[in-house]
Amino acid sequence: MTERERLLRRIQEEDFTVYETVLYLDGHPRNKKALAFYDEHRNKAKALRAEYESKYGPLTFCENRDSEDWHWIDRPWPWEREANA
Amino acid sequence: MWAYEKKLQYPVRIKNPNPTYAKIIISQLGGPDGELGAAMRYLNQRYTMPYGDIIGILTDVGTEELAHMEMIAAILYQLTKNLSPEEIKRSGFDTYFVDHTAGIYPVSAAGVPFSASYFAVKGDLFADLHEDLAAEQKARVTYDNILRLVDDPDVRDPIKYLRQREINHFQRFGDALRIAQDKVNPKNYYAYNPEFDGP
Repeated sequence: MTERERLLRRIQEEDFTVYETVLYLDGHPRNKKALAFYDEHRNKAKALRAEYESKYGPLTFCENRDSEDWHWIDRPWPWEREANA
Repeated sequence: MWAYEKKLQYPVRIKNPNPTYAKIIISQLGGPDGELGAAMRYLNQRYTMPYGDIIGILTDVGTEELAHMEMIAAILYQLTKNLSPEEIKRSGFDTYFVDHTAGIYPVSAAGVPFSASYFAVKGDLFADLHEDLAAEQKARVTYDNILRLVDDPDVRDPIKYLRQREINHFQRFGDALRIAQDKVNPKNYYAYNPEFDGP
């Protein structure tokens, strides 16, 4: 596993944790424990994304960080074998 | 993967419900040249596209089409708010209402349910990009036809916006076709299929 793949896997883990918590919060909007859990993992996901995007390019088209080149279209795209550790 | 944004791409503010308009505009949700078919066309075509830039165009236009589905649904929702049984009967909306009430279900103006046969994925970039150019043009014609039939400026405004997006998408697929032609054998675009045969 490369450093990039390791970081992407960490993002997938944190994003999944956030997503699962979001589904729960939709049905339990005043659950304090769930809200705190959401906050903790949302912040972790945010920090990991910022690190990934500064090193390896954008995860969303709003985060292209190069004024010389448009990296959004760089391969691999997510469904290619090389993009999946 | 995708993340939802809690906003429309362009505002939809309709003061007066009008189920007759809803009956024709619903074709741009579930009809042969509607936004659902557009989103499915581009988002499914992109996987075997051999060039990252063309994948980008298909991904970003396809994602915008999902936002257009939501705008059409917002128009339909606002056009069918607070209807009386008399209005439903008088407008001809009764044939939709009996099966779906005021729920949003993808059908054509003639009531035919959405079908995957409205779009194609041929797995050949020239076949697919020409399909995409034709699809954008056909969607623009449908919006033109809606504008011939709809007088209410509240409804015309977002429809005009969506019509303009078809024109811009047509131009972007023109870019994609030019990019593809530059990358294959310029003496014979059809010598092989770069999606299957490799470059």
